[in-house]
Amino acid sequence: MTVVTEPTLSDLHAVVDEVWESFLGGAEQLTPVEATPAPIPGWSAAITVSGGWKALVLVQLTQGAARSVTVQMLGMGEDEEPSSADLTDALGELVNVIGGNVKSLMPGPSQLSLPLVAQGIVSSSSASDLVEACRLDLTWAGQPVRVAVSVSVDPTETRENQ
Amino acid sequence: MKIVVADDSRVMRQIVIRTMRQAGHGGHTVIEAENGQEGLAAVLAEGPDLVLSDWNMPEMSGIDFLAALRASGNQVPFGFVTSETSDEMRARATAAGASFLIGKPFTAEAFDEALSPVLGAAS
Repeated sequence: MTVVTEPTLSDLHAVVDEVWESFLGGAEQLTPVEATPAPIPGWSAAITVSGGWKALVLVQLTQGAARSVTVQMLGMGEDEEPSSADLTDALGELVNVIGGNVKSLMPGPSQLSLPLVAQGIVSSSSASDLVEACRLDLTWAGQPVRVAVSVSVDPTETRENQ
Repeated sequence: MKIVVADDSRVMRQIVIRTMRQAGHGGHTVIEAENGQEGLAAVLAEGPDLVLSDWNMPEMSGIDFLAALRASGNQVPFGFVTSETSDEMRARATAAGASFLIGKPFTAEAFDEALSPVLGAAS
């Protein structure tokens, strides 16, 4: 029997690649880069999973990347300027789809929250039992993008993969 | 034909409508709703031929939207367009009366495969 509590980096990469290709497929490639501890100032989009698997999926990207994501998802012209509400909407949907697909790989049943989007850096408080388990650092159109999965380290939350 | 598209994300509603067009199912009247509650009101007011709904939405979720429709005796064809793609969620969707579940991210081909039996062949 195998205890599965976090996605593999390979699985996370596959999910992110598929989502990016579907929503943002185009001339610019999404390329993995060497992990760095430096935070990415700009926008953070988060979604949580609770129940059979407890986790936080976080997407972080710069203002420039957030704008480009939004323009492409909305099918806007390059001369159009998306509003903050547009960015919040687009990034929320991006993390929703990534989070939902990661959730489907993990033990269930579990529930996906509504997304939360903010300008700035989101991190867990010291009181949180969530620990970063998997992180993907990427570059897209010259901008850094980070997708991270933090999972509960509470032993009572561990589930066997059936 | 009339189609109700329910999703709390305006971005996703635009992508769904765009993808329907790419799949050869454009030209229908689309009524947009931001959540299950608005979707329910739209179905009662407009009598659509199909509902496409997200699962997780504020006010009323997609699964509750579907349950409310079926409880009222409304049998409008209903499909989920959602990031909730696990076997468990697909089973719940089917048990509640959904005709299909299109997982996000999706392709135009997936849309055509799901919509053609309901709307007719793509044009």
